[in-house]
Amino acid sequence: MMDATVDADADELLFEPFLPSPPDSYSWDPSEQNLDDKILQGYLEDSQPISITELGEDGESSHGPVTPVPDRDCIIGRIEDMLERIVDGLLAGNEQLTINLKTRSGLSRRHQDAGTIPSARDIEISYPGNNAQDARRFTIVVRILELIHGCLIDDVIITKRDMYYRHPELFGKQPVVDRYVDDIACTLGVPRSLLNVTAAAKGLVAGNFVLSRADGTSMRGLSEPEGILVPTIQAGDVLDMSAVHWILVIEKEATFRSVLSSPLWKVLGTQGLVLTAKGYPDVVSRRFLLHLADDFPQISMHALVDLDPDGIHIMSTYKHGSLRLAHENVAHGNTPGVNLPNLQWIGVKSHHIDRASGNEGDTTTATLADAQGVMKLTARDRKKAHHMLEWGICREYGSEPAWRAELQRMLMLNIKAEMQILDELPGGLVLWLSSRLEVMQGGSSDDEILF
Amino acid sequence: MSKQYLTLHTLPDAHPSDVFALAPTNRSILSASGSSTIRIHDTTQADFPLLQSLEGVHPLGIHHLATAREARRAASAGFEGKIKIWSEGEDGTWKADGEISDQLKAGDVWSIALSTDGKYLASSSINGKINVWSLAEEGNPKIRDYETKGSFGMCVDLSRDGRFTASGHENGSIYVFDNDTGRLTHSLAGLVKPVRSVAFSPSTTLLAAAGDSRTIALYDVKSGEQIANLAGHGGWVLSLDWSDTGEYLLSGSHDGKAKIWRIETRQCVATHSHGDKPLWTAKWLPKSTRSEMFALGGGNNAISFYREAAG
Repeated sequence: MMDATVDADADELLFEPFLPSPPDSYSWDPSEQNLDDKILQGYLEDSQPISITELGEDGESSHGPVTPVPDRDCIIGRIEDMLERIVDGLLAGNEQLTINLKTRSGLSRRHQDAGTIPSARDIEISYPGNNAQDARRFTIVVRILELIHGCLIDDVIITKRDMYYRHPELFGKQPVVDRYVDDIACTLGVPRSLLNVTAAAKGLVAGNFVLSRADGTSMRGLSEPEGILVPTIQAGDVLDMSAVHWILVIEKEATFRSVLSSPLWKVLGTQGLVLTAKGYPDVVSRRFLLHLADDFPQISMHALVDLDPDGIHIMSTYKHGSLRLAHENVAHGNTPGVNLPNLQWIGVKSHHIDRASGNEGDTTTATLADAQGVMKLTARDRKKAHHMLEWGICREYGSEPAWRAELQRMLMLNIKAEMQILDELPGGLVLWLSSRLEVMQGGSSDDEILF
Repeated sequence: MSKQYLTLHTLPDAHPSDVFALAPTNRSILSASGSSTIRIHDTTQADFPLLQSLEGVHPLGIHHLATAREARRAASAGFEGKIKIWSEGEDGTWKADGEISDQLKAGDVWSIALSTDGKYLASSSINGKINVWSLAEEGNPKIRDYETKGSFGMCVDLSRDGRFTASGHENGSIYVFDNDTGRLTHSLAGLVKPVRSVAFSPSTTLLAAAGDSRTIALYDVKSGEQIANLAGHGGWVLSLDWSDTGEYLLSGSHDGKAKIWRIETRQCVATHSHGDKPLWTAKWLPKSTRSEMFALGGGNNAISFYREAAG
C-alpha cells in the first residue's frame, strides 16, 4: 500500500476511499467484467486446482526443499473449525462472536531486511462488536470463509473479482475482498492459491515464447499484436523459451503498448519477452516471472520503471515480493518463493535525464531535462522516499544501494521522470531499450556506455 | 585569457555513494554523502589524509554541510530532517555541539548556511520558509522567520558581513532579506527555472544565482539589478562558490563539469570534468600560502582537488 497506510491502522484505512494502485489489487473497470467472466469460465472448466506445489515437472516444487504444505482436506478442516466455532458461539448464546485472524497489512518495511519474512500480527474481528462497522466486517469475513469453503469442497477456482461480484453491496469495494482473502491465507499459513482463490490475470505478456498446455493447446507469445494475458503455468505445461534472450518487465501498460506498436518490435520481439502487470504486480504475473527465473536462469531479467518512489516500490515488489503477501512467499519451508533476486534495473535513472552533450557555449541543446515527463516531486513523493530510505533493503549497507542512491538523488534534485521521457531520445524509447538490452547482454554493467 | 588548474589529488572513494556536500575550513575539508558519515580530510598535506570520521550521524544520508569561515563550527543537514551542529576543539577534533530541533519534521529544512563567525545559521525549507537561527544562545532559537510564496527553497546563503540572507526557489524566485530589519530587501527576477544555488560575493556587493536555466545570473545586492549573465554550462548548475578575493566564481553542473569564471570580464576561464555523473558540490579552499585551490565532489563518490598552475 501507499506510505500513507504504513503506520496507520489498516482496518480504518480499509474502509476509506479507494487508494490508488495498492500492491496486488487494482481498480476495476466494469468493461473488463466480460473478460474476467471468460477467465473465470476458464478456471471453472479446469477442474485442476492451481497449486504451486505442482508447478515444477514431476510434481516437484521448483524452488527449495519440499516441506509439507497443508493439503486441501486439511485446509477445509481448518476453515470448518473456524466456522464451527462461530456456530457454537451462536448456539451457546454468546454475546460476542470472535474470529481471530493474522494479517500483514499495514506493516512497515522499516525493519525488513532482504530475504526475511516479516511476522504477521493478530487481529480480532467480533460480532456485534462496538459498532455497525465491526458487525459488517465480521459478516464479510464469514461470507468469504463460506465462499472459499464452497470452492474447496467443489474443487473449483474462484477469482477475487468473482468473489466481490457475489456481494458487491456487502463488500463495498474490491480491496476489501482482496485484503480479507489474504488475511485468511495468512492466518492459515498457506499461499492464497491453496484456497483456490486467484487474482484475475491482470498482466500482459508478449514475446517469442510458446506455452504448450498439457491438454494439447498452445499459446504463442507473439500471437496477439497487443500481447496476451499472463498465463498461469500448470503441471505438465511446457514452455519453449529457446528464442528468448532477455525478459523485460515494464511498469506501465502504456509503455508496454508503445513498445509493442513500435516498428522495432518486429525485431526486438523475436529476441525477448516483455511483461507488464500494470502497476504494482499481481501474484499471477509474479509467479509467471518466478517460473521463468527458476527454469531459465540464463535469461537476464530487467525492469523498466518510472524514476519516482512508486517506480522503485513497484520494482521492489517484483524483486522482493509484497510485504503484505509475505505468506505467499513461504509456501515451502522458509525459502522465499515469489521473488526475483536477479532482476536488474535498466531505467529510468537520474543520469538518463540530464544528458546534454555539453557543447561548449551551446545552451540550446535539447535535453531530456527540459522534456515533458520530468516533474517536481510532490509532498507525498518526498514523504514516501523518506520512508523508503528506512526500509531494510534501502538502508545504509542494505542490499539495494543503487535504489538508496537514486532515492537520494530524486530528493536532491526534487524531480521525478516517467519512462516516456526516454522517447525524447534520438530514436525513441524502443531504440534506447534495444541498445541497452544489447549492452547488458554483452555483460557490461556500465550504465554510461550509451551516453 | 584562459587559466590553468592542475589536478592536485583525488580521493577516489572518499564516500561509498554520491558526495553531496563539501565544506572547507582553513586546514581541512568536511565532506558528506548519501552515507551517514561526515569525513574530514587534511588539506595542508599533499595526500589529503583522513583526519576524522563522524560516523552514523544522519542515518538516511546527508544532503547539506556548512562551515563557518572564521569559527571552528560546522552544521550538517540529513534526509531524516535534522540539523546537527559541530565544533572543532583545540586539538582539532570535531564533536557534536547540539541540534536544531525546534519542531522540525523530516523535510522541513533543506539547504543551510553558516555566518562567518558561526553564530547564525540560515536554512531554507521545502515549504519555502527561510529561517535564521541563533547558535550563540541556549537552545539555538529561531530568530528570523521569512515567509515566501511557498515554493521549495532549494538553496540559501548568508552574506559574509552577516547582514543579508539570500534564498533561491524551485519556481525561479530569488529573495534577499535584511537580517537587521527582518524585511525582504529584493525579489530578484531573471531566472524562471529552479534556482539551485545562490552565493554572495565576499564583499557582499554581488549575488550569483543559477540552476536549471544553465546560466549564472549576477545581481547587484544594493540595487537588486541583474548586471550579468554567465552562459556556458550544458547542464543544470547545482553549485556556486566565490573565491576569497571575489575575482573568480566556481560553478558545478549536473553534467559533471565545473567552470571557473573571471568576474571582471564575465568570462569562463577554465572548465574541468569530474566524470559524467552529477557534480553536486564545488568549493574553493580558503587561500593559504599555497596557490588557489578548489575541490569537487559528486556522483562518482570521489573528491578531487585542483590548484592554480604556477606562472
